[in-house]
Amino acid sequence: MIDIRNVSKVFNAGRPNEFTAIAGVSLHLTLREATILKGPSGSGKTTLLSLIGCMTRPTSGRIFVDNREITSLPERFLTGIRRSTFGFIFQRFNLLRGFTALENVIAPALPEGEKYSSLKKRAINILGMLDLDNRYDAKAEWLSGGEAQRVAIARALINNPSIVIADEPTAHLDEKLSGEFIAIMEILKKEGKTIIIASHDPLVYESTLTDRIVEIRHGEVVGEPARP
Amino acid sequence: MSRSIERQLHLIDFTVGSILRRKGKNGALLLVYTLVIFVLASVLFFTRSLRAEAAAVLKNAPDIIVQRTLTGRYQFIPMGYADSLRTIRGVASIAPRLWGYYYDGGFGANYTLMVPNDSTVQPGTIEIGSGIARLRNIRVGDIVPLIGHDGNPQTYTVARILDNGSALVSADLLLMAAADYRSLSGIPDSFATDLVLTVRNPKEFPTIAEKITRLLPDTRPIVKNEILRTYDAVFNWRAGIILLLFTVVILAFFIFSFDKATGLSAEERKEIGILKAIGWETGDVLAMKFWEGIALSLMAFLAGAILAYVHVFFGSGFLFAPILKGWSTLYPSFSLAAHINAGDLAALFFLSVVPYTIATIAPAWRVAVIDPDAVMR
Repeated sequence: MIDIRNVSKVFNAGRPNEFTAIAGVSLHLTLREATILKGPSGSGKTTLLSLIGCMTRPTSGRIFVDNREITSLPERFLTGIRRSTFGFIFQRFNLLRGFTALENVIAPALPEGEKYSSLKKRAINILGMLDLDNRYDAKAEWLSGGEAQRVAIARALINNPSIVIADEPTAHLDEKLSGEFIAIMEILKKEGKTIIIASHDPLVYESTLTDRIVEIRHGEVVGEPARP
Repeated sequence: MSRSIERQLHLIDFTVGSILRRKGKNGALLLVYTLVIFVLASVLFFTRSLRAEAAAVLKNAPDIIVQRTLTGRYQFIPMGYADSLRTIRGVASIAPRLWGYYYDGGFGANYTLMVPNDSTVQPGTIEIGSGIARLRNIRVGDIVPLIGHDGNPQTYTVARILDNGSALVSADLLLMAAADYRSLSGIPDSFATDLVLTVRNPKEFPTIAEKITRLLPDTRPIVKNEILRTYDAVFNWRAGIILLLFTVVILAFFIFSFDKATGLSAEERKEIGILKAIGWETGDVLAMKFWEGIALSLMAFLAGAILAYVHVFFGSGFLFAPILKGWSTLYPSFSLAAHINAGDLAALFFLSVVPYTIATIAPAWRVAVIDPDAVMR
């Protein structure tokens, strides 16, 4: 269970450009389900994902993951949780340019100090599972949109996280590639992973992947529309 | 292998990859940095070696040299003066010296002629410095003609080429027997170039010098301490120029470091954000930047120091020599003997590698402490 209790996030607090991205959100997300945070641009979806994924701390409120409070942990522990529990897929994939697909995939695991040979083997297995067998030594900038997306997914999976977080993953993909992405997420869900996706793409929230839709506007949860 | 070592190896591996993919920028950085180290190391090696040469010169310098002057101009000194000086208490020994210069018109070079005190050179033979041997392509056994004071050539067989322990001292040296020197220079047997004295107690140098002037008013005693002072003055004057050069180079280095410290590119900032977002700690990012700083600065340090070594000891410091040696031409050219002080190298290392590494880490730290969610936007 991911338990979000009355969480707020205010940027530039006390300055003229103060902005409240999340205002008193309370939410309970069930593990091993796919939850879609739906809402227009600027509604606070990405900020909520960042808060759940231990990327930033709330201005107020608390977040529990598996009954463990994560909001008050020091940075080092928070990073450890982020690395072992969450796998991130960013909107623009955010691959490291100049590095190969394989190097991008193993990057999150480098600080773990795992033996390189076993790390490489694991990364190649994941890339193979995502049909990238022949592309693991291709540089990030040489990859097509679909390949870059699958490398980003492989990177999110390298530390075998229990929760996969994706921010607008289909925003820059065509319908076919979006369909492929949803299919991969369905496989991951079947493997028991929790999927949390921020998206306003009907292809995502109307798909069979979706277990629950949470609608967000102006930093607040405004409802939970039924699945189509 | 422990996980922490494996982790550091992974970070080093990642850093090397990171450096290599920005070949242009890092290559330019390395070039500038190597140049800075090269200049600093060259100055250090050069001055250290010059001082070592000077120390070699002074090691065997006599306690007091007595020269004869006439209306302020140098004259040969009569051998009989030695008997008068022997009466001064505290003088341990007195020896006449025969030495002078010889201009070799054919090669445009000046040699220092000298008669060794221990009379090891046989009449008809000469011993020459490595500089003369190189200049005239002379080997042991060759016959060398020298033009005497009367315009007639005199020939000598080369018996030995002097070792290169201190090229500055011995490069242009030509040793010959006393009889040959007198015959070549025309100095009568009753005269010497100067007299050298050894004194038992160094504290008595000034007293004995005063007594010499009183006893022989037409002489000028030169005390070892005065030679030391002269050398020191010469080096202090040079040190001023070196200090100026040092200041300029160090200033350039700090401008370079400051630029580096404030010049984290947007791409680098984004990359740090990505690394943090995918699970790197601030410490991991800083460790990566630490290895980056170490790798670049160590490469520059080694390359700069090696180039400086080659420049100073194989290239005779051709870039700085005219300023630092203080004379524009030296016949024949010489190579400095390699004198490297571990302390100098350590100082150079800590003055260059450490500030650069800190300059690399500092801006990364500023970015790395920001919440990684910035990369999500």
